Amino acid sequence: MDIVTEALIGPFQYGFMLRALLVSVLVGIMCPVLGAYVVVRGLGFMTDGLAHSLLPGLVVAALLVSFISSEWLILVPNAIAFALVIGFLSKRTGLSEDTSIGILFAGLFALGLTLLTAARGLRVSLESVLLGQVLGVSRDDVIITGILAVVVIALLFALHKEMVFATFDPLGSSVMGLPTQALDYLLLVLLAVVILIALQAVGIVLVISMLITPAAAAQLLTQRFTVAMVVGAAIGVASAIIGLYVSFHYNLASGPVMALSATAFFVVALALKQGTTHIGGRMARSQA
Amino acid sequence: MDPTTTNRKRVKAMQSTTQSPATELRSSTNGLPEGVAPLAAEGVTVYRGGVRVLDGVTFTAGPNCLMGVVGPNGAGKSTLFNAIVGLLKVDEGQVLIHGSPVDDARGLIAYVPQHENVNWRVPMSVWDVVMQGRTKKIGWLRRPALADRWRVEEALEQVGMIDRRSALVSNLSGGQRQRVFVARALAQGADVLLLDEAFSGVDIASQETLVTVLHELRDQGRTILLSSHDIAHVAHYCDECLCINCRVCACGAPDEVLTPDVLIEMYGPHGVGSIHGKALDGHRH
Repeated sequence: MDIVTEALIGPFQYGFMLRALLVSVLVGIMCPVLGAYVVVRGLGFMTDGLAHSLLPGLVVAALLVSFISSEWLILVPNAIAFALVIGFLSKRTGLSEDTSIGILFAGLFALGLTLLTAARGLRVSLESVLLGQVLGVSRDDVIITGILAVVVIALLFALHKEMVFATFDPLGSSVMGLPTQALDYLLLVLLAVVILIALQAVGIVLVISMLITPAAAAQLLTQRFTVAMVVGAAIGVASAIIGLYVSFHYNLASGPVMALSATAFFVVALALKQGTTHIGGRMARSQA
Repeated sequence: MDPTTTNRKRVKAMQSTTQSPATELRSSTNGLPEGVAPLAAEGVTVYRGGVRVLDGVTFTAGPNCLMGVVGPNGAGKSTLFNAIVGLLKVDEGQVLIHGSPVDDARGLIAYVPQHENVNWRVPMSVWDVVMQGRTKKIGWLRRPALADRWRVEEALEQVGMIDRRSALVSNLSGGQRQRVFVARALAQGADVLLLDEAFSGVDIASQETLVTVLHELRDQGRTILLSSHDIAHVAHYCDECLCINCRVCACGAPDEVLTPDVLIEMYGPHGVGSIHGKALDGHRH
């Protein structure tokens, strides 16, 4: 086996690396597809808030893991509940949306940190929660991630035209009789589920990088929303795989390397966009 | 049987009728109850935060009607539009579309939003925006059929935007965007159109093109309501004028209702001087 093949295939001779690859690829696909909505709806802070507010649920699930068959039985309902609560509060408190999210996210994150430091003997470490620990995912984690990914992608595909309409023109879609508010809540629920899945790979702090950066890079490269979702997914998968390889060969944490790769793709996309605009402008001027 | 119930059934039956695209587009009033105004507001009263922002607004708009809604800032123009299309709860009174409540006649009414209410960060082509008009007809979980594409094409032709079908709608001028949203209403099959601040951000040349399209649609039998803060536009372009300032100050042909007394009632004695001059300019055109 030559050195290149060894470098490419070698890591996946280990079961934990193969599981990490599967989860990372799924995260790489789902985050930018949903991230396309996050970017155009301006939900960046909402995403960050949701990710941080999931910490108490993660700690409680870790505490109760010996009493239940799977942590996911707590994690998924917890994520869905917080998505609905944050969505409700951001619309109804009378405070601005970012203030409501800020209060809730800081409060819940503080609760999670307190629980984490108070509980002794947990197999969850603060570092793995904050930065992700994709190399530690189990077979069950892979299966559940796969099932959730299929559900999320199927819903986004099935409701694509309604979701895009409600995003582009919320009033117009309401007048036509679409349940625009229900679609808003559904998007938040899907967002919470995807964040939960992505936490395994990149952790609470960097989850926003996988949701926003590849989607934003894709929207610089194409002028079609649906195409941007596909291009974003390609960038997300590439970032995830690069992150895994680099972390394996250089013994680095995979989450931050995935986030760095996504950022590098964004910089390249920005340069391409600027270059195209510059050249287009010069050609237009020379023709004039 | 209660006549409103009968009308509701007929409106629902009409909405579910499958017509050929061309027929449905050109004669969208087929099958609707005759002798019933396409749009009627009866004593519409809306409170916001305990303050009455609309007080017993009553008017009807018939077919073949381009009605302008004017009033000072805060007079309740946008509130009235939101109440008509069902985005706001009406506290007293009711709005009827062809004799039916809005919830039973959603397919017949369309709303052209104000510029700031649209999320322009979503990259949408002209074609995709007009196809949104077909969303309810296509149905959940389904993709557009050939008939839907015909309808979109025909609607785009009618507003003169077929050549720009692939353009990004965010790259268009204000007037072109308005025409795209009007095409979306046509693709939907709506025969009552509401344009909130129709001429906001639209230059003079584009205004003329937009008004030509609106006049064509009116002549085909549709009912169009447009709001504008510029009274001269309404005096110039519209057949009827609804003057509101929380309540209806006057409703009728512009040259009959835009009198100094009505303008004073709407804008107060201090604001009326320049407004009256503009209204007269509108008539002279």
